[in-house]
Amino acid sequence: MSTNGIVLDALGDWTRRQIFDALKDGPHSVGELAARMPVSRPAVSQHLRVLKDAGLVIDTKDGTRRIYRVDPNGLAGIRAYFDSFWDEALGRFAAEARKERE
Amino acid sequence: MTTIMTEAIRKTVLVDFTPEEAFELFTARIASWWPARTHSYGGDDVKNVVLEAGVGGRLYEVTADGEQDWGSVLAWEPPSRLLLDWQIGEARGTEVEVTFAPEGPGSRVVLEHRGFAADLPRGRYDEGWDTVLGTFVESASKKA
Repeated sequence: MSTNGIVLDALGDWTRRQIFDALKDGPHSVGELAARMPVSRPAVSQHLRVLKDAGLVIDTKDGTRRIYRVDPNGLAGIRAYFDSFWDEALGRFAAEARKERE
Repeated sequence: MTTIMTEAIRKTVLVDFTPEEAFELFTARIASWWPARTHSYGGDDVKNVVLEAGVGGRLYEVTADGEQDWGSVLAWEPPSRLLLDWQIGEARGTEVEVTFAPEGPGSRVVLEHRGFAADLPRGRYDEGWDTVLGTFVESASKKA
């Protein structure tokens, strides 16, 4: 699977999208995120690992805690993903228009 | 908070269809060309893709599990313009605008996907300016 496939997949899950959205508002620890979500701390950690592997969030150590934040470079990846996404989608659109005309 | 915007994505295709026909193919008959196998949440399980006509209309995929929204119509101006609020996961809050203009016997279709933004903690920029201003002060001091 391509990196961009992983990115889309990472956000296909409802809970992970909620976590990612919460991090868009600012950095949070696992505990803070778990307090806002109807899921356990281990579950939040699991979701954060997936987001981190997809390059969407980064973490830093703050004493004994880990603070998670949105990776600004992940955004460039998302844009790049949609760039090729539209190339293919519009290519199919144009091909369909051509086919019907013939 | 500091908002970072990245450049809009802009794509152009020329088709033989008139703007009326192209608009209709893009919207009412989106399922006939949309590459749902690769461009969806459900992949091979996607049974249909629907774009409802008119402002407020929904754009969604249909699988055996139900419907998954992709976005909604913000502007519906057949045959020249379509504006969608794009809600797919990581690109939520972005906009997709498609315009259809006559070109020769056919039309020019331009798609713009814009509004890729992230709010970042200010700290990063405060530090950045410290570095920049530090260098400035250093250069400015040499003169003295």
